Amino acid sequence: MDLSTPLHAPSPAPDLYPAVCEPLEEVAAARPADVAPALAFALSRLAQNKSGDDPRPWVMATTPMWLRERGRPFARGLAGMGGAPERLIWIRAAKEIEALWALEEALKSGAVAGGLVTAEQPAFVTTRRLDFAARAGGARGVVLRAGPALDLSAARMRWRIAATASAPGQFDEAAPGAPRLVADLARRRGGPPGIWELEQDDETGGFRVVPGLADHGLAEAGPERSRRKTAAA
Amino acid sequence: MTLHALNDAARAAGLFRGQSHADACAILPALVSAPAEPERDLGMLKRLALWAERFSPSVAVDSREPGYDGLLIDMTGGAHLFGGEAALLADIRARLASANIPARLAIADTPAAAWALARFTAVEDVIAPSGKTREAVASLPVEGLRLGSEAVALLKRFGLRQIGDLYGLPRAGLARRFRGEAGLRVVERLDQTLGVLSEVLTPERPPPAYRVWSPFAEPLMDVAGVDFHLPRLMRALCIQLAQGGQGARRLSLIGYRVDGRTTSVQAGLSAPSASAEHLIRLLREKGLEHLDLGFGIDAMMLSVDKAEVLEARQTALAPVKTSFPPLRGEGPGMGVVQPVGFTGRSQSVLPTPIQKAGAVIRRADTELLSEQNAADRPSPPTLPFPPQRGKGSVESLVGQDPASLAALIDRLQAKLGEGAVLRPRGVESWIPERSETWAPAGPEAPEAAFDLGRERPILLLERPEEVNIPVTELPDGAPRQFTWRRVQRRVVKAEGPERLSPEWWRPTDALKPVRTRDYYRLEDDQGRRYWLFREGLHAREDLDLDPETQEERERHPTWWMHGVFA
Repeated sequence: MDLSTPLHAPSPAPDLYPAVCEPLEEVAAARPADVAPALAFALSRLAQNKSGDDPRPWVMATTPMWLRERGRPFARGLAGMGGAPERLIWIRAAKEIEALWALEEALKSGAVAGGLVTAEQPAFVTTRRLDFAARAGGARGVVLRAGPALDLSAARMRWRIAATASAPGQFDEAAPGAPRLVADLARRRGGPPGIWELEQDDETGGFRVVPGLADHGLAEAGPERSRRKTAAA
Repeated sequence: MTLHALNDAARAAGLFRGQSHADACAILPALVSAPAEPERDLGMLKRLALWAERFSPSVAVDSREPGYDGLLIDMTGGAHLFGGEAALLADIRARLASANIPARLAIADTPAAAWALARFTAVEDVIAPSGKTREAVASLPVEGLRLGSEAVALLKRFGLRQIGDLYGLPRAGLARRFRGEAGLRVVERLDQTLGVLSEVLTPERPPPAYRVWSPFAEPLMDVAGVDFHLPRLMRALCIQLAQGGQGARRLSLIGYRVDGRTTSVQAGLSAPSASAEHLIRLLREKGLEHLDLGFGIDAMMLSVDKAEVLEARQTALAPVKTSFPPLRGEGPGMGVVQPVGFTGRSQSVLPTPIQKAGAVIRRADTELLSEQNAADRPSPPTLPFPPQRGKGSVESLVGQDPASLAALIDRLQAKLGEGAVLRPRGVESWIPERSETWAPAGPEAPEAAFDLGRERPILLLERPEEVNIPVTELPDGAPRQFTWRRVQRRVVKAEGPERLSPEWWRPTDALKPVRTRDYYRLEDDQGRRYWLFREGLHAREDLDLDPETQEERERHPTWWMHGVFA
């Protein structure tokens, strides 16, 4: 697979989107400018928790270079994306190796529900350790990368995320609507890869698959008149 | 200029402390002298005081004139730990001698008497027997009372040369002989020397509430040795802590070097803990290799510099995981109560079997324990209440367990630094960069105050970056295209402005007033969404003062990139 090509369009009826997050996943921005959608997607993966509402906090480990280039997490913005900032513990590591160590410790401790780390080139052994740590702690881990690469990784799912034109604005056609992104599941263990166009669900803050056809749902069954009556009532 | 300190050769030539430098040079033309550095002396003495804490937790530096040259160690009730007073003095002398520090030592009932005996007796090690202070100091000169030079001169003029000469004098008359305070001072010092009046020592560091220490026959030369002895010491400390119902918040490991210095590693905790395993791990992560062992350490001390009450906490009603079938052998019994942060290895308030049951829950939560394993385990102890079958009881219990989270935060902070582990806190402000602060994390979740009234970017640039806007829709409108980080981006969707006025109640720089910001949400043709703002309003906020000429000058609105949306 040539990673430099833009993602191709998702099919109108793609496979089932894998909602359950694996212990360790990798989320890479298709291009460095797509880091913000990649982060939002990573948050939605972490929120896909088997047991529903997990009261444990979640961690985000960053490196100074990443912060300088991409900006720092903004709690109000995270809240809008379902990131639960009141449960966020932000680890400002000085080096990537420390950030990876911190995430491993956090996942292993069992005290956190999940965590993500910003990493450029995590070694295979490191990702394997993260995978084990996440399993041991009953947590979910995500490695967030600014660009895709074909190196080895122990992540069960490897995503490639690109921004795409947002949904039409609800009240203003000229305004950006609900954020959308294209998620390419490039590598997956024990399942087929796939590509989906996702849109932010404004109720949960997470992402849902954009319907391939017109986005207005099914009309209510039955004759036109009775529907009007119901609306009037 | 006077002489402050001398070496043996100078003393042998007849020079003395307090002599003027000119006189000294006349007697000994070859005199080599250097300016005195009392601050450095004091610093060294303070380090020696830390070293002397191996003998007693209460060590005071004698910082009174003349010169900083003494330590006062409060050995009350502690000399027998070192084999008696004579053995203690011999030990101190040997250790100081090996560090090449000359010293005079004295033990007496009162600090003032010990001070005088150490300085004004010809013998090197003096021990004034308990209750015999009056006789011991009687033959010392009156300078031993540590009086001002005027008072000493006056006493000598009266022919009172020894402290014993004062014993027989009427106190009222003695006080009256001196003008002003000096007379009272003589009486007071005499009383303090004889123990009639108490003298308060101010220790260099407040004595720690909990400490354990251990001397070694052979000095430890490397970190591995320290590491080897650490668990034994820590367990002793944790027993002390558990008995007091306290947990450590700040902990020091101090090594006593053979050359009379100390070396230490400190660790802070976000929540009090008395778990030996956790504290050991914390110190190891903090880095035992930072200990500067020099030529080896001959004693090691663990001291709790800050302790807090450790509340006993019930970790579970019944140690059973809901998703598993109930373990065999359940029945009425007692609950699992553990102090927070306790791993419950050696200092437990409960019999061992219950502790084992507690370990089963922890494991169960981590999903390591399979159903078969659970069944294979030996029967757990009897349980107090029927096992909980509610919604995820064990998971939610462990999930909210602040002890494991506090332990994690401690370890991260020990390794990465205090300011590296943060939690957000909302601030009442609409200026984005002021609307939240990040404070060092604790185990409790902060009060959440993040309103969702407006769309906010997920990533905020640490400082806004200026962007170049060639075209806007209207003078006040959204940009059509912009250049950020040298890439031109074409805007296809825009929303705004969201006007954020400066907070007028905050002080501002008169030369460069804070200007209104108009924020826009923009989306470019690639689907990326940005948060831009224009600083300043056209025709209204485009003037400010020139810092040099104090004249008004033009200041056009500027465009800034502040963040990116998902």
